Amino acid sequence: MSEVLAIRDLCLRFRGYSGVSEVLHGISLDIRAGERVALVGESGSGKSVTARIVLGLLQELPSAQVEGGLFFEGEDLNRLSRRQWQALRGTSISMIFQDPTSSLNPVFTIGTQFAEVLRRRDPGLSREAADERAGTLLQSVSIHDHARVLGAYPFQLSGGMNQRVVIAMALANHPSLLIADEPGTALDVTVQAKTLKLMHELVEQSGTAVFFISHNLGVVREFADRVFVIYRGRIVEQGPTPAIFEDPGHAYTRALMAAVPRITGGGLPDLNDSETAFLEPMVVHEGGDA
Amino acid sequence: MSAVLRLLSRRLGISLIVLVGVSMLIFGIARVIPGDPARIALGPNATEEQVANLRAALHLDDPVVVQYGHFVADLLQGDLGVSLYTNRPVTLDIAQFLPATLELVLFAGVLMVAIGLPLGMWSARYRGRWPDHLIRVVSLLGVSAPSFVWAVILMLLFAFFLPIFPIAGRITDSFEITRATGFLLIDTLLARNGAAFFDVLWHIFLPAFALAVSGIGQAARLTRANMVETYDRPYVEMAQAYGFSARRIAAKYAFKPSLIPSLTIIGLDFAAMLGNAFLVEAVFAWPGLSRYGVAVILRKDLNAIIGTVLIISATFLIVNLIVDLLIAFLNPRIRHSERGTS
Repeated sequence: MSEVLAIRDLCLRFRGYSGVSEVLHGISLDIRAGERVALVGESGSGKSVTARIVLGLLQELPSAQVEGGLFFEGEDLNRLSRRQWQALRGTSISMIFQDPTSSLNPVFTIGTQFAEVLRRRDPGLSREAADERAGTLLQSVSIHDHARVLGAYPFQLSGGMNQRVVIAMALANHPSLLIADEPGTALDVTVQAKTLKLMHELVEQSGTAVFFISHNLGVVREFADRVFVIYRGRIVEQGPTPAIFEDPGHAYTRALMAAVPRITGGGLPDLNDSETAFLEPMVVHEGGDA
Repeated sequence: MSAVLRLLSRRLGISLIVLVGVSMLIFGIARVIPGDPARIALGPNATEEQVANLRAALHLDDPVVVQYGHFVADLLQGDLGVSLYTNRPVTLDIAQFLPATLELVLFAGVLMVAIGLPLGMWSARYRGRWPDHLIRVVSLLGVSAPSFVWAVILMLLFAFFLPIFPIAGRITDSFEITRATGFLLIDTLLARNGAAFFDVLWHIFLPAFALAVSGIGQAARLTRANMVETYDRPYVEMAQAYGFSARRIAAKYAFKPSLIPSLTIIGLDFAAMLGNAFLVEAVFAWPGLSRYGVAVILRKDLNAIIGTVLIISATFLIVNLIVDLLIAFLNPRIRHSERGTS
């Protein structure tokens, strides 16, 4: 199977006043066409920066040093000019952020923003044609009064509604890779579950590969085909979702799973958050490597 | 649309109350200043009887409250009284001198917005890099000196040492322009006299720029500060993730949300230029309301002082009203919350 995204030995360092600090220590992962791959870890483990490196956003920061191979559909991203990389964003690669309402611009209507996104693929698109396409796309995310939604500002819609809008926008230009950075974390749990289910169906239909970033193991188990567990800038375990959940091989993965609160007993378990066992070598499950 | 109308009527009502307050205040203050306006007007050689007659004609012997009553009754008929300085109705004097001042202030306002906002935008787009540092130093310089200092400096540099611009006046005397609106930029266009139009532009540029310098600095600094904050918002990151160009993000996605908080202050700055115009007009011998205002204050010409202050206040209030409407128009939250309360 062809790889949509391949990351090889990715390192990230930040130059700061106190010297250089390394944030990612050589990460490798790959996503095949139409596959949903999750990157799981605690806050500060390096999940979100990985996503921003794939988009080429972090490289524009003067303080960031990025090293390692990045391949998108077989093309070496590091060889692209800034402009070429920018051309991939919003067309072949798109992204969904944590909080749908704050990721939409507050002073433009949904219709205006949608038209701008559609024009990324189709620059000459008229507003009428854009509204019509947007209407169809909104219907696919179960928004049926799309005329009202297109004329509305983000603050006039509910969080769940905005999340659907953002999903429709992200898939509007038929990207081959969708990066979802903790999608819907800002929403309440039932709305999050609903919109994730919707997203699941849509990417399955369109064959879009998803790079799913999350700290929520329950969501990952539902959504992902394969899981990479990241801890302090290193991948500590990787494999197909069922294998990881049935037989977590790495001490950190076990701790992460134990940290999920259960209704049935005990509340939150006591965990040592920096055991030496967490730094043990990577565990690779069968079928986990590309 | 009704929301905007409701906002307009409410703001007009408030403006009216403010104007009444201003008229009372300036009326009271003008009466408290020592000196007899009738004696000043008639000169040292007038007889006691003549002075007494003038005092009676001006109702100066009545209690202040009664005098204010006379003033309001006249004002409602569009009569601000006769100026003791020019011996003409004050309304006529103001009609003659106000357009020059308004033209200067409006032109300076256009310069402030047209130069200040883009400077702030560039500064924010290149935040932390050299264009940002340069613009910040320049705009700090602009803010830190009052406009009459800039007027003197600019006049020395660009009218005296380098005689690029004229030193004084609104137009070269050889042009004969019939007065229609009093705004020479408009009158010359109405007369289809291109040469005169550019002559007026050439005359107005330096005083207007001197008046606008601190406003330009202020507008640039405010726009930059608000935009730098906006750049940290998730929707700007989303715009970057969707591959919109840095220029487009600066000019549209980050600029418009930042404009709303800047606009209130820019509006106030704009209105404040009406006051600063007095000093700039003095430097450039601009035949506006300021020279008239200073002359009448020195002569304790009560009617003219009150008329001038009232007109300046009304202009200030109108500018604020326009800015408020503009903000309501730009900010969907205000537009829609107004509708929501109905």
